[in-house]
Amino acid sequence: MKDLGYFAPTDVGEALKFLAEYGDKATVLAGGTDLVPRINYHELCPESLMYIGGLGLDYIKEEGPKVIVGATTTWTQIAESTVLLDKMGVLTGAAKQGSCVAVRNTGTIGGNLANGSPAADLTVILLALDAELLLKSSDSERMVPIQDFFTGPGQTVRKANELLIEIHIPVPAGETSFFKLGRRKALTLSVVNTGVHLVMDGKQCKNARISLGAMAPTPLRCVKAEAFIEGKDVDEKVLSDCAAEAVAESTPIDDQRATAWYRQKAGKALVTRALAQAAGIEN
Amino acid sequence: MKQIVAFNLNGSPVEVLVKPSDTLLDVLREQLRVMGTKRGCDSGDCGTCTVLIDGEPVRSCLTIAMTVAGKEIGTIEGLGKDGEMDPLQKAFHEHGASQCGFCTPGMIIAGKALLEKTPDPSREEIVEYMSGNLCRCGTYVQVIEAIESVASDKGKE
Repeated sequence: MKDLGYFAPTDVGEALKFLAEYGDKATVLAGGTDLVPRINYHELCPESLMYIGGLGLDYIKEEGPKVIVGATTTWTQIAESTVLLDKMGVLTGAAKQGSCVAVRNTGTIGGNLANGSPAADLTVILLALDAELLLKSSDSERMVPIQDFFTGPGQTVRKANELLIEIHIPVPAGETSFFKLGRRKALTLSVVNTGVHLVMDGKQCKNARISLGAMAPTPLRCVKAEAFIEGKDVDEKVLSDCAAEAVAESTPIDDQRATAWYRQKAGKALVTRALAQAAGIEN
Repeated sequence: MKQIVAFNLNGSPVEVLVKPSDTLLDVLREQLRVMGTKRGCDSGDCGTCTVLIDGEPVRSCLTIAMTVAGKEIGTIEGLGKDGEMDPLQKAFHEHGASQCGFCTPGMIIAGKALLEKTPDPSREEIVEYMSGNLCRCGTYVQVIEAIESVASDKGKE
């Protein structure tokens, strides 16, 4: 293996300066739970590693109508956060289901996003919650709506000189839900996952966010399904039709975890359940 | 380009010259020759390489060695005193909780971390906490019983 350089900046400015100079050669290391296996298996030989665990970006704070989560906040911190439990328990619930204790102790929310995995669990919820991502470089910063962040499997709009700093999550106005289906209960990547956020007025759905993971080259906002259910009085049939719309927007593939055929069937069932839970309907 | 990383291993300071791509597991086994911690999948899936960093269980195969500078690392070698096994090690022995033994170091480290945090866990808590450690011999029930026995022994004290 190539000899790598290692750099562990202690403040964000230093990190951004390094990326400005070596961004195209440097790989950002946070928890390492996705990156290090690829290094171990020689799928990736980065010329240098920049470790961002020392930047102090592991925080969860309430700011007006949103919660701001630092990019290196771990799954364990999210699972144990009383602020998140109070404001968006769907995120803490999902964090508790992720992988296992030892992986949750190091894996970060920023890594879950920046790796651009189509199956990422926290990401699919953040899509349904309209999160915005703060990216900074040495000379600029920008907020990217999460649905514009992903461009392909493992690919995002983050430029080589940019660092994901924070995730800004609006406190949901309605009810939220998250479901994942894996090959087993623990320590498993999702075969399909879904996040739902519904604002209801009695039986009528005022506003909907529906997302699907592991069903397309990127985590997917199902905008047609959202338009389908918005304005409708919700019953079991509407939920099931809406879930079918969501799956119709997806383009799943066969891989080692499941076939596309299975993903479509399971995806529809999963979205139906997630919708029913958020709408408060027995299913 | 090798760099020096210094940390505490089971209470004693160590300094190692490492490549930036070396994992903590590489350093433990191949440089420090501390062989209790096993290399299984090298991708975070199996749990046999579980060690403690500042008391919290993590995968040493997923941990870049340079990132543990200044931290306290705990491995299976750090358990037990004066030739006496740790109570959890004894319980594993008494309950037949290891067959081939390959997963055992990771199981015991994870079990210790659980009992440190939750001295008297429910069976469900044990199952959830230990779900990241795989045993291909299938000793799960014995592992759970071993941890339960230490938990209840503690409760009696």
